[in-house]
Amino acid sequence: MKGPAFFSRFARNRGALLGAMVILLVALAGVLAPLLFPTDPLRIVAQPELWPGEDPALPLGTDSLGRDILAMIVHGARATLLIGLFASAVATLIGVSVGATAGYFGGWLDEGLMRGAELFQTIPNLIFVLTIVVILGSTLGHIVIAIGIVSWTPIARLTRAEFLALRDREFVQACRTMGMGHGRIILGEILPNALPPVIVLSSLVVAGAILFESAVSFLGLGDPNVASWGRLVGDGRQLIRSSWYISAIPGVAIMVTVLCLNLIGDGLNDALNPKLRDR
Amino acid sequence: MDEALAPVLEVRDLRTTLFTRGGELKAVDGLSLAVGKGETVALVGESGCGKSLSALSIMRLLPDPPARIMGGEVRLGGRDLVRLSEAAMLDIRGRQIGMIFQDPLSSLNPVATVERQIAEMLMAHDALGRHQARARARELLEQVGMPDAARRLDAYPHQLSGGMCQRVMIAIAIACGPPVLIADEPTTALDVTVQAQVLALLKRLQAERGMAMIFITHDLGVVAETADRVVVMYAGRKVEEAGVDDLFERPLHPYTAGLIGATPVPGAERAKRLADIPGTVPPLNALPTGCAFAERCPLVMDRCRREKPALTTPAAGRLVACFAAERDAR
Repeated sequence: MKGPAFFSRFARNRGALLGAMVILLVALAGVLAPLLFPTDPLRIVAQPELWPGEDPALPLGTDSLGRDILAMIVHGARATLLIGLFASAVATLIGVSVGATAGYFGGWLDEGLMRGAELFQTIPNLIFVLTIVVILGSTLGHIVIAIGIVSWTPIARLTRAEFLALRDREFVQACRTMGMGHGRIILGEILPNALPPVIVLSSLVVAGAILFESAVSFLGLGDPNVASWGRLVGDGRQLIRSSWYISAIPGVAIMVTVLCLNLIGDGLNDALNPKLRDR
Repeated sequence: MDEALAPVLEVRDLRTTLFTRGGELKAVDGLSLAVGKGETVALVGESGCGKSLSALSIMRLLPDPPARIMGGEVRLGGRDLVRLSEAAMLDIRGRQIGMIFQDPLSSLNPVATVERQIAEMLMAHDALGRHQARARARELLEQVGMPDAARRLDAYPHQLSGGMCQRVMIAIAIACGPPVLIADEPTTALDVTVQAQVLALLKRLQAERGMAMIFITHDLGVVAETADRVVVMYAGRKVEEAGVDDLFERPLHPYTAGLIGATPVPGAERAKRLADIPGTVPPLNALPTGCAFAERCPLVMDRCRREKPALTTPAAGRLVACFAAERDAR
């Protein structure tokens, strides 16, 4: 997994390279948003429902209240990406902890944890997210936690499978003969071996989390103080017959971002999967 | 065994049972052995006779279920390992007993450098800093004769040859200076020339540090080269124990004789077919009431099928469990 070799394998997948560049651009836009559009993006700047191209100063037009869509998209990039990353981090943390414990110790602990995971899987994800958000309240943090709570099960299953395969390997046995404790073996020896597929899955969970957040915001349960892309789509839905671009522009932004995240996941898989390494 | 020296590690009547669907299997049935300082005891037998299981029982590393130690003692430094808590065993493993395995490449973590793996071991037992650990790792690699030790510190296992991996494993096993080393078929997976190097290395380290060594193998050539005493196991039981010269000169148990007969001798006539022992080790769930070796034994008597022979002492320093050998000794 050394630097240059890793990047050359990643870059061999053209789609992944393209995806990475687009995501980098989106991230850059998010970071530089306060510089590019220093004023509040939710401020009214022109007459409402200005179509894209009508006013050269407002290349993507204005929404139903006369706010600059480009400014909202750029500011929304930050919120949307952060939600995706943090929700995926929460899901990965829960998933890896549960999966590693279940896979390593096995027995009744494994049974218990996996039945618990199945319980989570039987509840429809979106309804589960909405329930948690409604109970906890619509803040950005709660939405991130809610998405993390519904997204950890596949990561837990994958981590468990990896640990099951690795825990009986000879080098783990060798570590036991050296007098290493369970914690040291799990974190220091098995986890680094189990991580590559988990990283790939986590990158896909980022994409899934963005879609979840968009859905929550579209339904009007998003954080009212944050202009995420999902909320922009939701805001435009009353005018979908006359000014469809108000919903379509953030929608396209979501689609492109999620697609690119999936491409990156593919590329990571190529780069991290030892079986594909010599292709 | 030198009577003046108390053994470093003494196993008394160790019994390990596997609880499986097929019933309770007595995988190790009353094994006793003792190793003194600087002494090498070879544990010999066919696959499935309980050699490795004995070693793992001593280390208390068998998964429970299905395996459980049902009785016996493992005495080391005045303590009985069978009765120690798991936490106390963590400190015994590595610091008091080192272990090396058959396949060196798969015994090393594929995603960690040589340095990290040696350092992990050091830091698991001693409070060492990164720099100290690295310096110590380099010293250890030099001690096990790793060529270009400083550069190999940053190598991954797949970049090393089998022999070099085994040297790394040995370096890890001796890192905390254990008085006892268990070597489980340490040369089986290696080329013959590398085998000789690794054996020489183990002997040198043993002489330098006065380690007691339990050497598990099925290769009698290796036994002749390394061991002081030999314990022959069959179907979980010790069937013969003797000094290495006595054993090769005059094996008492027909199974030992068979093993020696099945070893090719350089210079012997090619035309003579290598003697083999007919049949296979009986499965542990279908052991006969009498001697487990009876079905394959050339000297089998009626009595062998009825009773299990107990260990007897036909001569000083020798033990054997065989009615035919008893009869001959009389």
